[in-house]
Amino acid sequence: MVEGFITQVLLQPLGIYVVALGAGFLVPLFDRAHRSSAILLFFLALAGMVAIAGINLLAILNGAAPIQIETAGIAPPFAINLRFGLYEGGFVLAVNSIALLGALHWLPSLRQHASALLLYLIMVMGINGMVMTRDLFNLFIFIEITSIATYALIGMERTGSVLAAGFKYIIATSVASAFFLLGTIFLYYLTGTLNIDGMVAQRELISGPIGFIATLFLLTSLLIELKPYPANGWGLDVYETAPGGIAALISVGVSAGVFFALLKTLPLLDNYLSSIAVVGGATFLLSNLIGLKQDNARRLLGYSSIGQMGLLTLALAATVQLGIEAQLPLVAGGLFINHLLAKAGLFWLADLVNRNSTRDWSVLAGRPGRLLLFGILLSALVGLPPFPGFWAKWVLVTELAAGGLYPWITVVLLGSLLEAAYLFRWFTQALQTRESDTPDTIRLESLLPVALAALLLFATGYGMAVQLESDTLIMFLPLLAGTALWLLDGLPGLLKSLLMLVVVAAGGAWLTLDLEGLNRIFGFILVGGGVLLSLATQYRSDVRKGFYPLLGILLLSLATLLRAHTSLEFFFSWELMTLSSYLLVTLGRGGAKPALTYLLFSLAAAYFILAGFALAYAASGSLELAALGDTGSSMGLVFSLLAAGFVIKTGGLGVHIWVPGTYGEADDDFTAVLSAVVSKAAIFGLLLVAAQLGIRSDIGLDPAYVLGWIGMLTATFGALMAVFQEDIKKLLAYSSMGQLGYIVTGIALMSHLGWVAALYLTVNHFLFKGILFLAVAGVVLRTSERLMYKMGGLIKNMPFTFVATMIAIIAMSGVPPLTGFGGKWLLFNAMMEKGWYWLAALAFFSSAVAFLYMYRLLHTVFLGQRKLEHAQLREAPAILLVPQFLLIGIIMVFSAYPKLLLEPLSSAISPWLAGNLVWDGLSLHTHLGYWNAPMIMGVVAGVWMIPLLFLLLMSLTLKIQKVGQFNIVFAAERPHRPEDTHFAYNFFAHYDRALGFLVKPRATAFWNSIVEWSHTLAASLRIFYNGNGQTYALFIVMYLVVLFLVNGGLQL
Amino acid sequence: MSFFGDLQISMIVLCSGLGLVLIGLWGILTQRNLIRMIIGFSLLDTGIHMVMVSIGYVTGGTAPIINDDVPMATAVSRVVDPVPSALVLTAIVIGLGVTAVMLSFAVRIFRARRTLMIDECTESKW
Amino acid sequence: MIAEWFGRAGNFSLTLLIVTVYGLLVGAFIERTIAKVQGRIGIPYRQPFINILKTLVKRTAVSHGIMFYLGPVFRIAGGIGTLAFIPVIYGSETFANFSYAGDLFLVIYFMFFGQLGMALGAGESGHPYSAIGIARGLSQMTAYEVPFALAVISIVIQYDTLSITEIVAAQQGGWQHWTLFTNWVATLAAMLAFLGMTGYSPFDIFLAPQEIPIGPPTEFHSAYLSLLQTNRALFGATKLVLFMNLFFGGATGWIELMIKTLAIYMVAVVVGVAFPRFRVDQSIRFFFKIPTLIGIISIIYVQMMFTS
Repeated sequence: MVEGFITQVLLQPLGIYVVALGAGFLVPLFDRAHRSSAILLFFLALAGMVAIAGINLLAILNGAAPIQIETAGIAPPFAINLRFGLYEGGFVLAVNSIALLGALHWLPSLRQHASALLLYLIMVMGINGMVMTRDLFNLFIFIEITSIATYALIGMERTGSVLAAGFKYIIATSVASAFFLLGTIFLYYLTGTLNIDGMVAQRELISGPIGFIATLFLLTSLLIELKPYPANGWGLDVYETAPGGIAALISVGVSAGVFFALLKTLPLLDNYLSSIAVVGGATFLLSNLIGLKQDNARRLLGYSSIGQMGLLTLALAATVQLGIEAQLPLVAGGLFINHLLAKAGLFWLADLVNRNSTRDWSVLAGRPGRLLLFGILLSALVGLPPFPGFWAKWVLVTELAAGGLYPWITVVLLGSLLEAAYLFRWFTQALQTRESDTPDTIRLESLLPVALAALLLFATGYGMAVQLESDTLIMFLPLLAGTALWLLDGLPGLLKSLLMLVVVAAGGAWLTLDLEGLNRIFGFILVGGGVLLSLATQYRSDVRKGFYPLLGILLLSLATLLRAHTSLEFFFSWELMTLSSYLLVTLGRGGAKPALTYLLFSLAAAYFILAGFALAYAASGSLELAALGDTGSSMGLVFSLLAAGFVIKTGGLGVHIWVPGTYGEADDDFTAVLSAVVSKAAIFGLLLVAAQLGIRSDIGLDPAYVLGWIGMLTATFGALMAVFQEDIKKLLAYSSMGQLGYIVTGIALMSHLGWVAALYLTVNHFLFKGILFLAVAGVVLRTSERLMYKMGGLIKNMPFTFVATMIAIIAMSGVPPLTGFGGKWLLFNAMMEKGWYWLAALAFFSSAVAFLYMYRLLHTVFLGQRKLEHAQLREAPAILLVPQFLLIGIIMVFSAYPKLLLEPLSSAISPWLAGNLVWDGLSLHTHLGYWNAPMIMGVVAGVWMIPLLFLLLMSLTLKIQKVGQFNIVFAAERPHRPEDTHFAYNFFAHYDRALGFLVKPRATAFWNSIVEWSHTLAASLRIFYNGNGQTYALFIVMYLVVLFLVNGGLQL
Repeated sequence: MSFFGDLQISMIVLCSGLGLVLIGLWGILTQRNLIRMIIGFSLLDTGIHMVMVSIGYVTGGTAPIINDDVPMATAVSRVVDPVPSALVLTAIVIGLGVTAVMLSFAVRIFRARRTLMIDECTESKW
Repeated sequence: MIAEWFGRAGNFSLTLLIVTVYGLLVGAFIERTIAKVQGRIGIPYRQPFINILKTLVKRTAVSHGIMFYLGPVFRIAGGIGTLAFIPVIYGSETFANFSYAGDLFLVIYFMFFGQLGMALGAGESGHPYSAIGIARGLSQMTAYEVPFALAVISIVIQYDTLSITEIVAAQQGGWQHWTLFTNWVATLAAMLAFLGMTGYSPFDIFLAPQEIPIGPPTEFHSAYLSLLQTNRALFGATKLVLFMNLFFGGATGWIELMIKTLAIYMVAVVVGVAFPRFRVDQSIRFFFKIPTLIGIISIIYVQMMFTS
């Protein structure tokens, strides 16, 4: 009997109501006896609701038929019926689970009122009802039950602002409910039934003026409940003021119920799909835009919540419009679960941190665990991998493209970027330690629900990955390795560094050694080079919390990037790389702010790439990277979008403003990896799209020619900007930007020789920039300075660092006999072969300009007068020098025998671009010229040795005296202070006077004005939120009117 | 009575119901006093109830009880549709609940801030 | 193989000797010419040789460090190496030097070798005037490089080769085949760049030879200076040979070479005597105006004339 009751009633979906109501009745009774027993019962009830939902959903997933529940023993339409299918099950399980976690979070408050326990249960039950019921009037009742419970929960807080916000909320939702009721009754009038399925079956009856009015009321009501812009001020006020527990449940639970109501009534509203999409899209875009102006943490979350619901609405409408309901679980389900977990977690975290202004979240600074949780939730919300939002957005955007709904792609991506901007600005504020901060008082156990939400995000993310991809284990390998390293984060720094190196070397070798062609070459640069440069991380023995796991993730995600076969795999690894490198940059001394710029530009780049891939999928119907070329007429657009994304990531002119700050403020050893290795990922991407698309004759040469110009202008202006830098790392940053510009031009040439040049330059840039940044790391370590004029004469203290720097600079400059010359020679030949004469001339100029900053770096840091306080400095640590001299060794080998490098490069290119290099022995010939590197090396060595020997010989008779620092012929005066003798500050003042006008920070000014304009626009868009409940009610009524007019109400 | 009359009576109820809805909305939108807004809501609610009743009414119809006077065969045309009436009952209960919550909010707002004016409750904005 | 290398090295030593001596003599000749113009007698022809010898046999020297010591070595290695990669006499295997190791592009980039090394050496001296001189010299270099590069691209398009030997070969068969006449626009641009390259007035501020000792060599003396002085003559002559090869038909014998190079040099001298000095920013702006424009025209010109 009891067993029967359990299996027949309790474990059925209807059991949820039984449990909720039963516990609801019993809780006050238990409370009389003992508060704790009431709480125990409360949790048992919630857990039971989760369990029932879980068990039934599992059964359905295992193939059971959706459960139809009839009440009162009578079939519909004569009685209310409910349904528990796949969608219902998923929503109910998600909502109940989050309710359970939320209760855990809210326990301290719930403990104080027994009535709160009751209300909480009823609210959750109401949401369950909204999801499961198939009866329109019953839906109304569940909406009202949920609402009344919500009102009461809000009202428990007795401060004026909460009550005021609550009252506005009641007014707004009551009006919306009134609309719902009107719509319901008219629909009943037309169809004679209240059953939704029954109405759908008689869809043709719902027509004419009454049908129009009925559906319009229904639609308006549901949309209003979803808080569309601008009729959503009441929602924002509640999010801002209500306690985190209740705000979280409104944001994710109630909204979920309403969203599901929209989902199930959508067959009745099929005339309005465009309106729904527009409302959703506009709400997503505008909420996120207005969010930029917000600095109240909870209200910010409110904007984000509203935006996410807008996106969900848009996704729903678009999916139905496109007739791809099969994708609905992935798109809407993914977005929903992502929003549910991330937003609830954030609301709880906001509750715990308990700081209103986002600026005051700096209390989290220096608390890696908390920041990690915070970061995971934010990343999920923005749609970064591996969280569900990433997969959902991927499917959404690709399907939008396939359906030709291009404007919506723009809306989705732009909105996401705006959302990322304010969410990660918040994260940035949390990263920056402030003196005035008092430590937060969050107890560890109270973070449990937040942590569980974060874990569930990973789990659901992986679940979605399995649905979409076959090779998930390899894709998640970087994350697994990172997690393993993170678990060992308590170990000493040097040991962690070693572990990371072993893991990355082993994993990277396993992932990349069986690759072929271009991928293999990049495998050596990205993984091999990454490991080599990361050896230098051993120079710091401090703990560096989070550094090694993140570096491990970054380097391994580069390896998986090379393995990608589909655009989804590629994009996943790409975003993982973006995220991990962003977090690594934030670890630098002043890294938080520049890292934000870096992230936003990287995300913009990623969205261009996503749009490109989506378009390619639309055109070719395949996600294979190899199918990028089958995109027919959209080839040019696909190429342009992808190339734009990769060029942003290389720091192309105009979108380069992230470069100096990022390279400047990242940890010194990490900057080397960032510049020498990570930037090559963009080059790889560019080559990939060039190989699939750019080289095709039917694409038209124009995009490639534009790309060539972008590259060369980047090279020129990068060099010019480097010339005027005082900061050594920013100088090298601009230099990197410029050098990558040459590579971009090389790729844009779309010829065998051009690509050989590009790859050769890529290898060379890795070699010399790795040395330079590591050398600079040593200099900064010893001097604690980055401004070059504050150094000088360091050759005496750091001779090895000087030699390494000098050789790297010669290799960069293009002066024979080192590797740089080969790159310049190949590129020049390729440009002349192609007839790109103007670009060739510009290349001459920019490489001449590069001499200026190269000399400046060597001179102001290592030569000239040494500062008195630097007299005792020691050479850089050996572990920094070892990788540098290994790289020098490689430079020397390739300088003397470039054939060793060029032959593999050439054969990797030949599958794409036919042609091969013409060798005459060791001499390389092109159509125009020839280059015999070993002989040049020999001649140079010879002509260098002869005067040296001569001078040494002379020195035998000549008494050469070493003299002290200030012993120079200086206007009959012996200077005694290095500060006024070392010519270093504003080294190229005259150049500034002649050409400085070229490098006025126009790009920075442009982007700043973009920021300013969007803030101004946001400010003018939020004037509707004046805080007055009546205004909000007016907007709701006007929403009805506008929907009436837009959908042709006047023509009835 | 004729079809015309049938229409007339339910039309009167319907129109006055809709009129009440409009008056209620007008009250909510223009009256700044919380209590008056709540009264507006009550009017709106009542108006909707009248609309609901008017939908199911059959002029001259009898109570929807199947017995000897009202055989099954002719019931559909002779009885008042019982469903809207049932719905109205539920809706009234819910309306009552919402009104009660509203009033309690008004009371608490007055206790917390010594005012009942909605335009003085605007500290959350933008 | 070894013997062949030694043979080449021997041949090149001969070239080196001739060009260096010739460079020193031309230097003296120019000094004397300028003196005559200014109403002075001027130096004897042996003076440059005496200068080198005198500095060479100084008994003491100071050193500011290893890069300082190596600076002059780099400098003269740059001069010798540049010459080594240029075929000096057309049609002569003996005086083709090591030009088969690389083409015109190699020569242009190898010119920086000595400058960079010297700049590093001068930098280590710790003398602010050295650094100022280098900063100015480098800046000016980026500017005259533009018309020069345009002119070079123009003739590379014209002759469709980067090989200096082939460029000279294409100009054989009478003066009307010289680049000067077939592509006078490019020649004009290159000659304007040449003014900057030689470091005569009005583009001599980075050395400021007349007044205070300024520029890279400020701190160099004794044997160092002798190397620098030798290189000055050698490198100057090498640049003349390069210009002769590119624009003036090359030379089939030493006499032709001397006449042509002297004539080319006179252009810089005449301009230098006639015009006062530019500030660096002025000279940069100068090169970016007319000479660059001419360079641009030269490429358009050559595309219209020689490609179809």
